[in-house]
Amino acid sequence: MNPLKTVGHATSRVDALKRVTGQATYTGDVKLPGMLYARVLRSPHPHARIKKIDLSKAQALAGVKAIVTRENCDTIWSSGDTTNKRYLFNNPVRFAGDPVAAVAAVDRHTAEEATRLIEVEYEVLPFVLDQEEALKPGAPEIQPGGNFSPNRGKREPQVALRGNLEEGFKAADVIVEDRYTSAHVNNAQLEPRVSIAHWENGRDGGKLTVYASTQGIANCRTDIAKDLKVSVEDVRVICQFMGGGFGNKNQCHDFDLMAAVLAKQAGVPVKLEFTRKEDYVSVHGRWPTTQYYKIGAKKDGTLTAIQLRGITGLGPYKKSSGDIAGTEVYQCPNFETSLSTVYTNMAVSANYRAPAYPQGVFGVESVMDDIAAKLNMDPVDFRLKSMTRKFRDQTAYTSWGLEDCIRKGAEAFEWKKNWHAPGAGAGAGGSDGPVKRGVGMGMGMFGSNLGYSAALIQLDGNGVYHLYVGVTDCGTGAKTTMALIAAEALGVPLEKIQVNSGDTGTCPYSVGESGSRTTVMTGGAVIEAAHDLKRQIEDKGMPKGSQVLTASASPEPTVRGAARYSFVAHFAEVEVDIETGHVNVTRFLGAHDSGRIINPMTATSQIQGGAIQGIGMALHEQLLYDKRSGLPLSAGYYHARVMTHLDVPDIKVVFVETEDPYGPFGAKTLGEPTIIPAVAAVANAFFNATGKRIKDLPLTRDKVLAALGKTGGKGTVA
Amino acid sequence: MGKLSRRQFTKGTGAGLVAAATVPLHAQRTGDAPAAAGGAPAVPRSNIRIAVNGVERRLEVEDRWTLVEVLRDHLDLTGTKIGCDRGECGACTVLIDGKPMYSCSQLAVWMDGKSIQTIEGLAQNGKLDPLQEAFIAHDGPQCGFCTSGQLMAAKAVLNANPHPTRDEVKAGMTGNICRCSNYNHYVESVMAAVGGSPSSTTATGGGNAQ
Repeated sequence: MNPLKTVGHATSRVDALKRVTGQATYTGDVKLPGMLYARVLRSPHPHARIKKIDLSKAQALAGVKAIVTRENCDTIWSSGDTTNKRYLFNNPVRFAGDPVAAVAAVDRHTAEEATRLIEVEYEVLPFVLDQEEALKPGAPEIQPGGNFSPNRGKREPQVALRGNLEEGFKAADVIVEDRYTSAHVNNAQLEPRVSIAHWENGRDGGKLTVYASTQGIANCRTDIAKDLKVSVEDVRVICQFMGGGFGNKNQCHDFDLMAAVLAKQAGVPVKLEFTRKEDYVSVHGRWPTTQYYKIGAKKDGTLTAIQLRGITGLGPYKKSSGDIAGTEVYQCPNFETSLSTVYTNMAVSANYRAPAYPQGVFGVESVMDDIAAKLNMDPVDFRLKSMTRKFRDQTAYTSWGLEDCIRKGAEAFEWKKNWHAPGAGAGAGGSDGPVKRGVGMGMGMFGSNLGYSAALIQLDGNGVYHLYVGVTDCGTGAKTTMALIAAEALGVPLEKIQVNSGDTGTCPYSVGESGSRTTVMTGGAVIEAAHDLKRQIEDKGMPKGSQVLTASASPEPTVRGAARYSFVAHFAEVEVDIETGHVNVTRFLGAHDSGRIINPMTATSQIQGGAIQGIGMALHEQLLYDKRSGLPLSAGYYHARVMTHLDVPDIKVVFVETEDPYGPFGAKTLGEPTIIPAVAAVANAFFNATGKRIKDLPLTRDKVLAALGKTGGKGTVA
Repeated sequence: MGKLSRRQFTKGTGAGLVAAATVPLHAQRTGDAPAAAGGAPAVPRSNIRIAVNGVERRLEVEDRWTLVEVLRDHLDLTGTKIGCDRGECGACTVLIDGKPMYSCSQLAVWMDGKSIQTIEGLAQNGKLDPLQEAFIAHDGPQCGFCTSGQLMAAKAVLNANPHPTRDEVKAGMTGNICRCSNYNHYVESVMAAVGGSPSSTTATGGGNAQ
């Protein structure tokens, strides 16, 4: 791969100084004159009909300026449910945490107090939490028409078929059938929900400015305009710094709309804040799944048939696809996958970093590991035999580094030296103590499609290049990535680039920080705009004094006749204390083919961070529910047990930089692949250490001890 | 220094006082209290004297205000963040008389006579603290929302022990959650700031990976 001048060199973030001095302005730091503070009242029941809401006491509280409920607000939050009508406030309420009312007051304490003074009479309804239970006859109906969420109007599983499954299983020497489940895991980004809405003419409306905490200002703006029935031109969305999202700040959210509705009613700007608990229970997390697999292989590891029947719990609203992915990373002529998406009375589930993948890859890679064990094959050799080489065995990839990810990753991880027969795990240095060591791996892939985006560059008379891109940089380093791409394409030093982002009032369209698409899509637009600007400079010379040159581009590139994917292999080493059930990840390695790496420094951060989130998902994290009351038990960082400084192993990163003819300088997606096989690698390492397989995420101590046949004894803690 | 559990840490930083911090809200609610000038019901207020980043301040605070509310909403020091407001995440960590504390779990009235250092007071005389320099050079912040807290926790570690080991840094900062999970780069930054051995966290393969 030919080295470039600016791209590909480890570079500190262009806005790092602001981030380390407290000068970065996040949405919650914005304060407008006369601004009110708002809080939300939520359902304490998983399923109930609201019979009466009495606002009189709340309205009488001094300092309360506006209250909205279903009775005076019929705004539909369209991106909150793509199938059913989801209002900002719903009746019946369908999960513990469903909004009932929102209050704006002179300060947040008064707003909070007012929510406590609202009296709500509920008729409590029966509820169901589990996606399989919800499909059984007689289960409480959550949405009109039943709990099977329709797909293109039909209430039946979405089926994808290729080849002949029956013949595939006939040709198999070994068949493994199994059931795996995964839990609801919250995105848990550090920045809480906050939105500040300001109508220029107060109660009379006019132009609306929303300071949002969003991964995509452009889509947020379009959604707000649509749901509030105002024209897109009248809405401006601003998000200068963003404190993480991992998929749960796409589009607009109900808090943006509630803030706008309250601000109009009160006639002054409103800042709506969610608490951390609200963030956990009322926004969304990764969807829980049940996965039934049947997979057949020949003695040499060739796969003959893969069947997956998946059931996903959406919560009571369909906010995203509920897909279960992972099987496509294997080469196999006979395939059948079916997916049922189901309404439940749990918290809503939707996008969280590679939404369909880590839980699906956990299931697939666990079954594949079992097949390798049955065939007495090293799991690495098995995957080298059966990995995808063409998309769906038919279409060539634009670039394909999967084999190198596995080979180079295994080598750098010293796989051959550390892998042993499943269950033969000894302690460090071969000791015979209660701590057993094992290694595991998993692999995955993630789409890297091109698509529409836009960029604008203005060169001023001082030789500064002002780059305008509609990105928000939720922590990925997008501002820096865009600056690096611009500097490279323009052939100027990075210091000459001034990045302007996060404001629909000044920046052109970007798809936003979702689908790991910013680098690939908006980066492509930056290059095109840079080329245009260079042509103008050649024609007209550099601008002088107050002169400016402006170039823009809004390309919509496509890939024809090939599939474009990023690839990844993860390797984990764990130590399992068979007496306490404690699992500790001691080493981890991520080998990534994301094409050319634009900034190895921020890319390393992404890979390590994704891996650690995956380790947390494998070992501890879940939103637990009390089955009797239908209430969430573990909302918040402490009880959900997110990873901390002390839980984190050394994480090595291997870049497999394939040459890809598409994308900005050959870059492919990176942010989401970082979590995809991490969960599976940890689970497979546990299997290697103990010879036991845990089939339900997460691998908490109670399950570890049960798998080791040690329950009933002392200390069965989760 | 042995490994410190997160539970011990949160206790030390005042998480145990979360319940106490919310009590006055209920206890002092008086529906018929006369409205204050701003339209809100009157609530008990107290006068306090605190030093914030070396500047002496006399403030009248509502007894229910937390320290982080005063810093952010009333002193416009928004560099200190609220991540959970319940003593779990550490985004609001500041130094109170040199000790790292969760400012969401301290009532402002308790601060009378105390000295508080926030992220805005970390750079001295326009010169960045070595920790800040290292956080930039080693890509400490991803989204950056936990960064102020991580920096203040790191500062406290170094105040107590100028030459900590990697494990001591991890233990001292374990009350500070980073959901981007850039823990390795944070610890690497702190070790670099004290001139310790470079991290074993490395990238190989393409480019000039660090």
